[in-house]
Amino acid sequence: MTDAVVSIKDIHKKYGGFGRKVHALRGVSMDVPRGSIFGLLGPNGAGKSTLVKILITAVKRSSGTGTVLGKPIGRKDTLAKVGYLPEHHNLPKHLTGRQVIEFFGAMAKMPRASRRSRADELLDLVRMREWHNKKVGGYSKGMRQRIGIAQALVADPDLVILDEPTDGVDPSGRRDIRLVLQQMRDEGRTVFINSHLLGELEQVCDAVAIMHKGRVVSLGTIEQLTEGMLRYEIEIEGELDAAGATFGRALPEALGKGQSAGPSPTAELAPPTDAGLAKRVGLRGELATGESVEVHGNRLWIGTTEAATIQPVLDAIRAKGGVIREVHKHRPSLEDLFMQAVEDDDSPGAARASSRGQGGRP
Amino acid sequence: MIIQTMALLVDAYRELCAKRLFWITMILNSLVVVVFAMVSINENGMKFLIWQMPADFAGVTITSETMPPGLLYRTMFAALAVPWWLRWVAVILGLISTAGMIPDLIQGGTIESVLSRPIGRIRLLLTKFVGGLLFMTLQVFVFSLLVFLVIGIRGKSWAPEVFLAVPIVVTMFSYLFAVCVLIGLLTRSTIAALLLTAVVWAAIILVNAGDLFSVSIHENIKAELRLEQAKVDRRERNATLAILGERNAEREAAGLAPLEALDPAPTSSELEARDIRLPVTKLRVRELEASESIASRWRRVIYFVKAVLPKTGETIALLGRWTIDEEEFARLGAPPPSDDRQRVAQEGSEATAEEFDNRPLWWVLGTSFAFVSVVLGIAALIFRRRDF
Repeated sequence: MTDAVVSIKDIHKKYGGFGRKVHALRGVSMDVPRGSIFGLLGPNGAGKSTLVKILITAVKRSSGTGTVLGKPIGRKDTLAKVGYLPEHHNLPKHLTGRQVIEFFGAMAKMPRASRRSRADELLDLVRMREWHNKKVGGYSKGMRQRIGIAQALVADPDLVILDEPTDGVDPSGRRDIRLVLQQMRDEGRTVFINSHLLGELEQVCDAVAIMHKGRVVSLGTIEQLTEGMLRYEIEIEGELDAAGATFGRALPEALGKGQSAGPSPTAELAPPTDAGLAKRVGLRGELATGESVEVHGNRLWIGTTEAATIQPVLDAIRAKGGVIREVHKHRPSLEDLFMQAVEDDDSPGAARASSRGQGGRP
Repeated sequence: MIIQTMALLVDAYRELCAKRLFWITMILNSLVVVVFAMVSINENGMKFLIWQMPADFAGVTITSETMPPGLLYRTMFAALAVPWWLRWVAVILGLISTAGMIPDLIQGGTIESVLSRPIGRIRLLLTKFVGGLLFMTLQVFVFSLLVFLVIGIRGKSWAPEVFLAVPIVVTMFSYLFAVCVLIGLLTRSTIAALLLTAVVWAAIILVNAGDLFSVSIHENIKAELRLEQAKVDRRERNATLAILGERNAEREAAGLAPLEALDPAPTSSELEARDIRLPVTKLRVRELEASESIASRWRRVIYFVKAVLPKTGETIALLGRWTIDEEEFARLGAPPPSDDRQRVAQEGSEATAEEFDNRPLWWVLGTSFAFVSVVLGIAALIFRRRDF
C-alpha cells in the first residue's frame, strides 16, 4: 500500500541478554492506511507497547524496516508530526493543564503564539477550558487523560498514537474521547490506538491488527475479518435435551434435502435416540450447499447471510414439532475475533500457520 | 532547537519553584545573610548585634583599625560563607532537590512523551543537566546578591567580586551533579543517586584530605630538613672555625703566620670530634631526607590520583584567591614564630598554602571539567542507547 502512514516490515525486537533474552516482537509487518482509525489489540505481553515505542523511537528495533509518515523509523524530524499519549502517562504535576499543552507544543518546536492559540482550541476540544489554570497534580484521572490527548494533538499531527486512551475514564468521558477520535479522522488524521477495551475499539476502528506472542495473528478491516464468520442463529424453545432431540429429528431431513455432493453432515450430526445431542455441543457439519452448521445447545448456527438458505431448516424444525423462539443474523464482535485469533494461535501447529500468515495488509 | 531548550529550562524552573525544598533553601540562605549582617566591627573588636566579642585570631587583634568593615565582610564571605555554607549546606540541599530530576525523567509515562518529540536524546539529557544547575545558580545568585548588599550597606564597600561565587559554586556543584545524573540514569532511583553521589563525594573529600595531608607533611618535613641542614652547616662552620683557631694558636706559638682557611678541610670525623652534637644533627638530617623521599613519593601518587578527580576544594578556594587581597591581610601583622617548632610549622603551612594557591587554573578547572565530560559522556552514551 503506497498511502500508508505507518508501514513496517519484519520488525523484531529482543530485550535483555546473557541468557535472559526476551523476543518481544517476532517479525511484525503491517500497513496503517492514511486517515483511518487503526486499532492494535492483543493480550498483555503481546508486544503492542513495544511496537508503539519503536514507532516513537523510545525503543530501538533489533531488525526490520519501516517508515512513519514516509520516512524511516527513528528519524526525529518525523516526530514533529506525530502525537503520542503513553498508556500510564505522567504529565508534569507542577504544570497547569494549559502549561502542559504548551510545553509539549514547544517540544514540537511550535512558536509561542501558535502554542497559545492551539492550546485554546484543544482545551475547548477536550472540554477542559474551565480547569486550564489548575495544576495537573489536582486533576482526576479522566481530566489528566483529556489533557494527555490534547498534548498529543498540540502540534497538529498527521499521525496520533494513543496507548489506552480511555483507560480509567468514565463512560461519559469515553464517549467524549470517541467523538474526539472520530473528529480526528474527519480532519484527515490517522489515529493508531493501542487498547484492550475491545468494545471501545469496535465502535471507532476502521481496521485492526491483533497481536499475540510478538506476532500479528490477524490483520484487516473489521468487515474483512468478520467475513466468513457471519451466520444465522436459530434458537428453539425447550430444555437442552428436548432441543437436542428436536434437532436430531429435524436435521437429517433438512440436511438431506437436495444433498447431492460433499460429505454428509448427517453422519456427524447423527440424530440421537436419546438426549445425547444436547451434550454434543459444537458438533459441526455442512449443508449440501456448503454452509456450515453447528449445534450449540438449543441454538443452531448456520454459516450464511442468505435468508433463503435457512428456510428449509426452519421448515424441518417446525415439522418435527420444534418451536422457534428466535432467528437472527449474527455478526461476530471484535472480542469474538480477538478470542478466536488468540485461541487459534495457541492451538497446536499455529506457530507455523501464523508465521505463514504474517505480512497481511488491511 | 532554542524553543525546545528554553521550554525545558522554563520547565526545570517551574519544577524547582514547585518544590518546597527550593523555598526552604532560599529562606535558609536569607537567614544566613541576616546573621552575616548582624556582625560588625569597631575600634574595640567585633560585635554581634549588641554583644562585643573577643577578636583575637592567632595572636592578631581584629579591630576596625586593622581590618576595615568591607574587608571583614569579604573575608567572612570568602572564608566562612562560601566554604562552609555554600560548599556544604547549599550543595547538599541542591543535590537533594535535583537528585530526582533524571529518575523522574526516565520513569515510564514521562520519558516516552518526551522522546516522542523531535528532540535528540543527548540534547535532552544535557539540557536536563543544565536545568539541574539552575537550582544552584538561583540559590547562589540570591545569596550573593544579599551579601553584596550587606557588604555595600554595612561595610561601605561595594564588592561585585562576590558574584564570582555564582560560577564557582555552580561549577563545583556540577562535578557532583554529573555523578548524580549518571547514577540516577543507571539505577532509576532518586535515593540511590543521592546516596551513591554522597559516597563519591566522600571519596573525593578523602583524596583531597590525603592530598592536603601529604603536601602538608612533605612541606613540614622539607621545612624541618632545611632547618636541620642549616644547623649542620652552622655547627660544621663553627667546628671548622674552632679547629682553625686552634691551629692558628699553635702556629702563633710557633711563630708562624695564621692561616686564612684550613687546607685540606677538616674531615667529618674531625668536625664531629669537635662538636659532639653534630653527629646527632646529621643523623636527624639523614632521617629527614629519608622521610622527605617517602613523603615526596606519596605526594606524587596522591597528586596523580587526584588529577583524574574533580577538584571540589580547590574550585571553591578560587573564590578566596580572587576576592581576598593578600596585601590587605599582610597589614594585620601576624606575630613572628618564637621557636624552631613554630618556625617549621609556619614555613610548612605557608608552603602548603602556596602549593595549593599556585596550582594552575587549567589544572583545577581543566581536569575537573574533563571529569564532568567523561561522566556525562558515559551517561549520554547510556541514555542514547537505552530502550525506554
